[in-house]
Amino acid sequence: MSADYALELHGVCKRYRGFRLDDVSFSLPRGYIGGLIGPNGSGKTTIIKLIMNLARHEAGEIRVFGLDNRRDEVAVRSRIGFVYDVPGFWDDQTLALHRRALGTFYPRWSDETFNRLASEFGLPLDRKFKTLSAGMKTKFALAMALSHEADLLIMDEPTAGLDPVFRRELLQRLSALLQDEGKSILFSTHITSDLERVADFITFVQNGRIAFSMPRHDLFDAWAIVKGDAAVLARLDPATVRGARQRGTGAEALVSDAASARRALGASALVERPRLDDVMVLMEGEAAHAA
Amino acid sequence: MLRNAIRKDLLLNGKQFWGLIPWFAWAAYALGQEHMGAMTAVSGALIGALMTVSICAREDKFHATAFLASLPVARRTFVQARYLLALVVGAVSMAGVAAMSAVLPWSVQSVAEAFEPKTLLLGAAVAGVSVAMLMPLAIRFGLLGVIGFFAVLQVAGIALLVLPVALGMKDVLNGLFRAAERGFIGLHGALDQPGTLLQTAAIVAMAVWVSFQVSVFLVERQDL
Repeated sequence: MSADYALELHGVCKRYRGFRLDDVSFSLPRGYIGGLIGPNGSGKTTIIKLIMNLARHEAGEIRVFGLDNRRDEVAVRSRIGFVYDVPGFWDDQTLALHRRALGTFYPRWSDETFNRLASEFGLPLDRKFKTLSAGMKTKFALAMALSHEADLLIMDEPTAGLDPVFRRELLQRLSALLQDEGKSILFSTHITSDLERVADFITFVQNGRIAFSMPRHDLFDAWAIVKGDAAVLARLDPATVRGARQRGTGAEALVSDAASARRALGASALVERPRLDDVMVLMEGEAAHAA
Repeated sequence: MLRNAIRKDLLLNGKQFWGLIPWFAWAAYALGQEHMGAMTAVSGALIGALMTVSICAREDKFHATAFLASLPVARRTFVQARYLLALVVGAVSMAGVAAMSAVLPWSVQSVAEAFEPKTLLLGAAVAGVSVAMLMPLAIRFGLLGVIGFFAVLQVAGIALLVLPVALGMKDVLNGLFRAAERGFIGLHGALDQPGTLLQTAAIVAMAVWVSFQVSVFLVERQDL
């Protein structure tokens, strides 16, 4: 465990009735963007809650900038900007009053930054929170999270309620934060194209376990989608096949070793660079098949 | 951080405290009633404290609990702020009633009586014990806990009124009310004795301390 990492999870477990998060381990180096993907109910939000200590893990260890997220929770949280999937604030109070009441909790809070972001996001500070649209509520939560010089941003589905224009703008802003200020970011999303655009590391959560966690480029360079006849695909090394499905008269498989698939199949099959939604669909199909 | 937590509750819930106005209107009337004695001021402490607990539970309704728990503040600090604010608002309400008794021309209550140690302690006892009972419910179950608490009191009150009449035991009911009234006035009178005063203060302080520990235990183990 080292302070070179913004985030480290090691062997983290959490049980709920009917759901178990089991042996979750992954890390995010400082200055990078990490994306959590996975189907609904796979455990992404639970992982984020455990990191934020909103829920208590039963086993394992979570460290943020080398600090234990429970023992040093106040120090850890002062360095995190957090955006929840459903931003909850006081419905009947104005945004300006929220800034006044909540900003003081952060040692490095900046009214100037908040006002600049509110202006850029088009947030009317004199409006009550309940009068905002879902997208505006997320923008407000983002402005709050970005106004105290957080070293790590943690966001649960931050782009879900946003229109495509602002989504693109947000992703550019997140990338700029990294380039200009060396921040780290972890966010969960269903919109895999967002991750393909900005994430440096991809962590795929499936049925409460980490199916894989690796640099995005490693995933796209080493993994492949193989399309061809089912008989041809049967020649693939089973150890590298991470998912497969029938498609029309043919079949397609997700393999974790593109080079070996090319060597084994030659020109008899099509070996393509995978997209994240292909990875999700094929791995989820495999998990359902195995179950 | 405790100061920030109290400030947050006051700023974001400040308007709700206007809800005390109708109660103060009733208090203005009650101050003209001879039989109320110092109980108007004592009930001021009770209403102020309970209303603060109820108001602060609103954050549960707004789903703001997760955001609050993500702030760089220990959950214990928010609990401390709640207890402190409830007791302070109770004290301020009681002082408000005492001030009204000095100003209102029809008041038959004396300011001196409202500020007697036994009256202050009775106010603190009533507010402290009520907060001690309600706060863990409000902390663990949010607004639902507060509503449940008052609903149980309502149902119990109605049952107490209706059942003895329905069962032909109206005299028993009257006896109960008279006994409660006598007990309350008796306690107020007994607080003149230093020993009783100290014992009562110790019991109330213990009740609030135990309640606070239970609330902290609950909140620190709560998964949001």
